[in-house]
Amino acid sequence: MAYLEMIDIVKRYPGVLANDHIELCVERGEIHAVMGENGAGKSTLMSILYGLQSPDEGYIRFKGSTLLLQSPLDAIAHGIGMVHQAFKLFESLSVWENVVYRREPRRGIFIDGARARAQVEELARRHGLPIDPTARVANLPVGVRQRLEILKALYRDAQILILDEPTAVLTPAEVVTLFAVMKSLAAAGCTILLVTHKLNEVMAVSDRITVLRNGRVAERLVTAHTNPTEIVRAMTGQQTGPLRAKQPREPGAILLETQGLVVEQHGRRVVDDVSLEVRGGEIVGIAGVAGNGQSELIEALMGLTPVAFGVVRIAGRDLTRGSVAEHRAGGLSYIAEDRARTASAATASAADNLAMGFHRAPPLARNGLLRPAAMREWARSLIERFDIKVASTETAVGTLSGGNLQKIVTARELAHNAPVLIAEQPTRGVDVGAIAFIHGELLKERERGRGILLVSAELSELLELADRILVMYEGRIVAEFARAAADEATLGLYMAGGRRA
Amino acid sequence: MTVAAELRSQLARHLGQALPVLGAVAVGFAVCGLIALWVGLKPGLMFVELIKGAVEGPQLFETVARAVPLVGMTLAAAIPLRAGIVNLGADGQLALGGCAAAIVALYLPAPDIVRLVAALAAGMAVGAAYAALAAAGEIYAGVPLLLSTWLLTYPAKGLCGFLVRTSLRDPSTAWPSTARIAVGARLGSLIPGSPVNRGFLLVAVVAIAVIFIDRRSSIGFELKLRGLNERFARYGGVDLHRQTLGVMLASGAIAGLIGAIMVLGSQFRYTDGALTAPQYSWSGTLAALLAGGEPVGSVVAAVLFAALQTGGFAMERSVEIPRVLTMVLQSVVILFLAMRGAIWKRP
Amino acid sequence: MTFAFFNATFFDQAVLGITPILLAALAGTLSERVGLFNIALEGEMLVGAFAAIAGSHFGGSLQAGVLAAVVAGALFSGLLAVGSALLRGNDIVIGISLNLLAAGLTSFLLRTLFGVSGTFSDSAMQGLPRLTVPGVASLPLVGSALGHQNVLVYLSWALVAVIAGFLNRTPWGLRLRGIGEQPDAAVALGADATRYRFIVTLVGGALCGLAGLQLSLGSLTLFSENMTAGRGWIAVAAVMLGRARPLYVAAACVLFGLSDALGLRLQGEGLPNQITDSAPYVVTLAALVIAGLRRRRLAGALA
Repeated sequence: MAYLEMIDIVKRYPGVLANDHIELCVERGEIHAVMGENGAGKSTLMSILYGLQSPDEGYIRFKGSTLLLQSPLDAIAHGIGMVHQAFKLFESLSVWENVVYRREPRRGIFIDGARARAQVEELARRHGLPIDPTARVANLPVGVRQRLEILKALYRDAQILILDEPTAVLTPAEVVTLFAVMKSLAAAGCTILLVTHKLNEVMAVSDRITVLRNGRVAERLVTAHTNPTEIVRAMTGQQTGPLRAKQPREPGAILLETQGLVVEQHGRRVVDDVSLEVRGGEIVGIAGVAGNGQSELIEALMGLTPVAFGVVRIAGRDLTRGSVAEHRAGGLSYIAEDRARTASAATASAADNLAMGFHRAPPLARNGLLRPAAMREWARSLIERFDIKVASTETAVGTLSGGNLQKIVTARELAHNAPVLIAEQPTRGVDVGAIAFIHGELLKERERGRGILLVSAELSELLELADRILVMYEGRIVAEFARAAADEATLGLYMAGGRRA
Repeated sequence: MTVAAELRSQLARHLGQALPVLGAVAVGFAVCGLIALWVGLKPGLMFVELIKGAVEGPQLFETVARAVPLVGMTLAAAIPLRAGIVNLGADGQLALGGCAAAIVALYLPAPDIVRLVAALAAGMAVGAAYAALAAAGEIYAGVPLLLSTWLLTYPAKGLCGFLVRTSLRDPSTAWPSTARIAVGARLGSLIPGSPVNRGFLLVAVVAIAVIFIDRRSSIGFELKLRGLNERFARYGGVDLHRQTLGVMLASGAIAGLIGAIMVLGSQFRYTDGALTAPQYSWSGTLAALLAGGEPVGSVVAAVLFAALQTGGFAMERSVEIPRVLTMVLQSVVILFLAMRGAIWKRP
Repeated sequence: MTFAFFNATFFDQAVLGITPILLAALAGTLSERVGLFNIALEGEMLVGAFAAIAGSHFGGSLQAGVLAAVVAGALFSGLLAVGSALLRGNDIVIGISLNLLAAGLTSFLLRTLFGVSGTFSDSAMQGLPRLTVPGVASLPLVGSALGHQNVLVYLSWALVAVIAGFLNRTPWGLRLRGIGEQPDAAVALGADATRYRFIVTLVGGALCGLAGLQLSLGSLTLFSENMTAGRGWIAVAAVMLGRARPLYVAAACVLFGLSDALGLRLQGEGLPNQITDSAPYVVTLAALVIAGLRRRRLAGALA
């Protein structure tokens, strides 16, 4: 009997069978990868294991006894810990307060702060996770925050540690450190479940792999006996195709450029002397670990954040101090990273969402007055052209799937026919079919002579689509590569601040 | 995706909004009935008198007359609410508007009709300017409008109260108030023999304008979307600060106009506290909240509240049940809806 | 003029004026730290003030009044607890409607239970007893203000320290802060966010009930309609100014209490009361504006 078993797990959501009779077997002290594309069912499965949800059918057996988990509290009590992709930390509190939260050592009715700090320090030292217990979380870099999350689980005597896409926010160097930590934890008897979609990690650190596809177990593999091609085939059900062939293009005029751009926040330069240009007919990619200034750069380009120094020129016009409306009118459109909170209004209809930005001019409006029939027609045509699955133009977009919502945002921004498109994480959390569609649209726009600035955390996406790739690190552009000269390893090196340009 | 599907979705959405309101009203009546029973009153009698008092015979004109300022104050609350902003300073803008209108109507050396028009305009201008003050606080110093508008009502009412006791005081009256406004400068009666005056026409025009702008104009579109998701509006190019200022100016102007209408159309003088005593601002805010800032729903709610309040007065006269119970009713309805999350669920 | 201007009465009135605001502001502070925006402080206070008088009148004793105030405040805030903490409805809408409900309900009950409208007063009713702190009471100028006040005044000061200690030093305070700051994280570690929010709201209601008690039975024994006169809103402003940190919030309350007393004092000097009545509100607004401008300057840019 295995150490940990999830037996015949079924979980249904309205309209989709997220987990379809899944069986998972994990041995003690192993690093077990749970792989799959977005929507394959890994997050659901792990949330069941962590007690965030209950399965509709099936059960969990740990160390021989059946677990009935009604909340993460139960999971923690049984020795199951989880480090989420989005950290769940209290920013304004200290490291030790975060670690001991709800298990505070006490002295009478007060918290014994000294003992808490000592315990945290000891725990950190023992597992090779150096950290300052008194530091405020808000001041910690991402890699250290993840260490804190792991410490939280270890403090609660986790024997099983679930890591959900742990490397999404780490530099390649931090990833190496993390792997070392994982191996040492496993050697000490901790069992690790690594949820990921990244091949290189799985190959580097895991012992066995369970591949999910469409809610079912597609394959069970032993890492030492398999290879990336086999894994990808199990994840997608198809062979990895050749990279999309691209027509080489002579780029056109400069449509968007910045010179010496500086953005300051809280006394720090979050964008530090950035000069770049985007020409018609090219896709310029920006690689970089989240938090190195990409978001702030894009916001400055759009007029959402004020610029301290430097120039932003759109189609030759200096719009450094312009408003968002002026930037858009000047020729920018923008697929924002956060589609639900920023790029759409959940309770508004598809028609309203698709009309935003067009509502002051023909054909949707005339002399300041809207034309409802035109709005509906506009929405209908975009929905059809982009094959968006929505019941009607009046449906609230909050009910749509991630992929369909992303299509709405993409459709709207592309419909502007603006000379420059800024796309930020355009395929994050989107199903495979929609990813292919959006990539196809971006390439088509490139063909039409549009200039595209593509910010993405997926190096594979950048390598596939971009003509040139810039690397951002700590607010500066530290490297620039033509597509042919770039590869993941080199990009990763600069992303980690390896060699300054 | 067909036209039929679109209509179905729209109908579903409207029904989905209307049903909880009806349910809440039912709960409101039930709660008030229970309270009445607890203090030894008869709920059945109460409701009969309430309804009779609202619509029977001349009472109907009373309801209409009350609906005029109430609809106005509801619109004053609804316009900012549509954008997600709460203006709690309507009372102050109302008082200042009425006071300004009285001053102009009494002291401007000009022919009657000019005085009337100028007084109305002055009321709107002063109300708008005062509301803009609060908007400036939000734009330049980040002081939430919810607080600043509320706090500003006190100096506003204080100033009016002070003026009407000193330089504007008409010594022949018992209450602190101004002199009577000449007949020529008043808003005349619309329906002879009833309390309905020409202010009705002004408010009707305002209501139609607000509804039209909200539904059919680009400005209204931007307002609605901002109320639904402020970040999205900003991302889409909406100038939030300009919008804030705009809605506050409109809101203050309408509140000031109502103050002017009350002074020029029914009271014919500015008396300290007389404009705020009927608490139209609070009822207006409640009605606007009930409709989530949506103008048509707000107007409907306002008219219903006007009926409720007129009925309440009559009820108090005939069966001696305190009319403040209608205030309780209004609050319970909103509370119930809010608790069910049916009101103004912001993302 | 300066020495006689700030006389003993001035400080006495200041301290008295601070107390209800402080109690309500402490309630608001706890709410804010647990992640709720409580603007129903005004209504809860009003309910407490009425319940205190009603309890004292019908129950026949001061104790009955105190009990009634606390229980009524807590029960009334139960509506907020259910609507906001439990059902996650919109804080602001619920708060506003509760304030209006309180005004309507207390006015209604004033008429039906006491048969009067406007004000009910009973000079025979026992108000809160005053304590004398030896040593402090004999200080010049501030002696009476600081050393000879009723129980509730001293209790409110003690509560500032108690609540500060609770929030910063106890496990439950830590959990509460976590829930307010990042509910997902707190729930992930097993904190019962709903329970904390619920309890905090009820405790806040009880505190506001005490604030109302101070208003109706603290010095004069009477209840008049809407006697809270916006103090609940000033408490909200105090919480905002003090960034929900008990000591800073208390400092903000002192500021308002002083400006309130200043207004009364200026009235005594002959300034019209319409103007002086506005003093605390104007001071509050000015403080908010100054704090806001300062924050803007520190953050660097105008968004």
